[in-house]
Amino acid sequence: MPNMIEMTDVHKSFGRQKVHSGINLNVVKGAITVIIGPSGTGKSVLLKEMMGLVLPDSGKITVDGVDIETATKSRLLELRKKFGMLFQNAALFDSMTVSENVAFPLKEHTAMTEREIKSAVADRLRMVGLSGADDKYPSELSGGMKKRVGLARALALEPEIMLYDEPTTGLDPIMTDVVDDLIFDTQKKLDITSVVISHDIRSVLKIADYIGMIYNGKIVRYGTPEDFRTTDDPYVRQFFSGSKDGPIKVY
Amino acid sequence: MGIIKGALELTGRKTLKMFADAGSVAVMLMDAVRMIPKRPFRLKLLLKQIEFIGANSVPIVILTGIFTGMVFGLQCYVGFRNFGAESMAGTIVALAMIRELGPVLSSIMVAARAGSAMTAELGTMKVTEQIDALYSMAVDPVHYLMVPRLTASMIAMPLMNGICILFGLLGGYFVNVIVMGTNASMYYDNSVLYVNGADIFNSMFKALVFGIIIASICCYNGFNTKMGAEGVGKATTTAVVQSCVLILMFDYIMTSFLV
Repeated sequence: MPNMIEMTDVHKSFGRQKVHSGINLNVVKGAITVIIGPSGTGKSVLLKEMMGLVLPDSGKITVDGVDIETATKSRLLELRKKFGMLFQNAALFDSMTVSENVAFPLKEHTAMTEREIKSAVADRLRMVGLSGADDKYPSELSGGMKKRVGLARALALEPEIMLYDEPTTGLDPIMTDVVDDLIFDTQKKLDITSVVISHDIRSVLKIADYIGMIYNGKIVRYGTPEDFRTTDDPYVRQFFSGSKDGPIKVY
Repeated sequence: MGIIKGALELTGRKTLKMFADAGSVAVMLMDAVRMIPKRPFRLKLLLKQIEFIGANSVPIVILTGIFTGMVFGLQCYVGFRNFGAESMAGTIVALAMIRELGPVLSSIMVAARAGSAMTAELGTMKVTEQIDALYSMAVDPVHYLMVPRLTASMIAMPLMNGICILFGLLGGYFVNVIVMGTNASMYYDNSVLYVNGADIFNSMFKALVFGIIIASICCYNGFNTKMGAEGVGKATTTAVVQSCVLILMFDYIMTSFLV
């Protein structure tokens, strides 16, 4: 299988804080890759680097064969059209209603008429179980609802690559299942490449084709769900069992 | 020795940062200017910004103009009365309002009112990742957010200047003619006698430049906001202070070329 995104020896620090010290990761085209790891280990930064929102201090990142660092600004904007991203806090435009948020990428990048956009928006909102919330503003929504609107907005253009930053955190168990299925189904249906950051072990094992575990600025393990289920790698076992004792230091 | 070294280092660092910032603002401004003719034209956003920067600033600009004109008219009247030239107060009021007070005061008021809100809005968008979200949807934030604000400022600022001048002249007239009893036709004649077209043109040109300064400084500070609510507050303060200082500096620079 060819790789959609390749990260080679990526280093990144913010001030004195080292976030990545030599990340090597290949994201397989048309598959769901889940990134797991403790909070604060730079998983969100990893997604932003893939999209060129954050530039690494050193190392190389290519997306579909294009080197992000040397790409021109217009090339980068063109490349970003391939991406959809669900931000950790949804990052909805708070001056726009729910339906305006979902319509935004369609208005910007398609020649759809007002009516087509309206029906597309209604369609996307139904998909995430939010029909009827059209005219609400983001400040009137709960965290989980915001996330689902963010998801509808990110999927609006049917991107080639979807990046999900903790799509199920803050959702109730039933909605978690719905969103998991949504990620899984859209991936199979549209054959998109997905990168998911998740803490939810159950959904990780359910949706992932590949799992990468990040700790201390590096990918400490990469493999299939089967591998993660059976390995006796102490990092993986500690994370999966949710124990504070083990090689992953909390304090 | 340690203190001196520390002070020198601090000065050096601050100076370097100042020049780096100035450079970044200039680059961003050039970027925005190049994008003005680029599609899609966001007419709705432009009108909204003109309303916000221009129309909503009208009351405060009127008040500024009226009271500045009144107090300046009064001071001129009192000063000129010492040698019996009260009727010349109109000349000074008109020249000062048109050449300096109109453009400078109206733009400082707009910077304080609309510029601060501009930075706070963009800063909040930055810290809540809404600007990243724009990037992620392949929409350039400079094109989507800065271009409408820049063009709106360039359109609105000369208009604000005109309103400020008009009400300044009325304020001066009111104090001199109605309160102090200077002959109305003499006051009017002296007001228009020394004002020519170049004065008005230069005044509008200044207002246009001040509009560019406000939009670029306030957008730059908004886009570069860091660290949450406190960061938004800091960015807003910095934006207003920098805009006001730059308006006064550029006023002198432009005046020295224009006179």
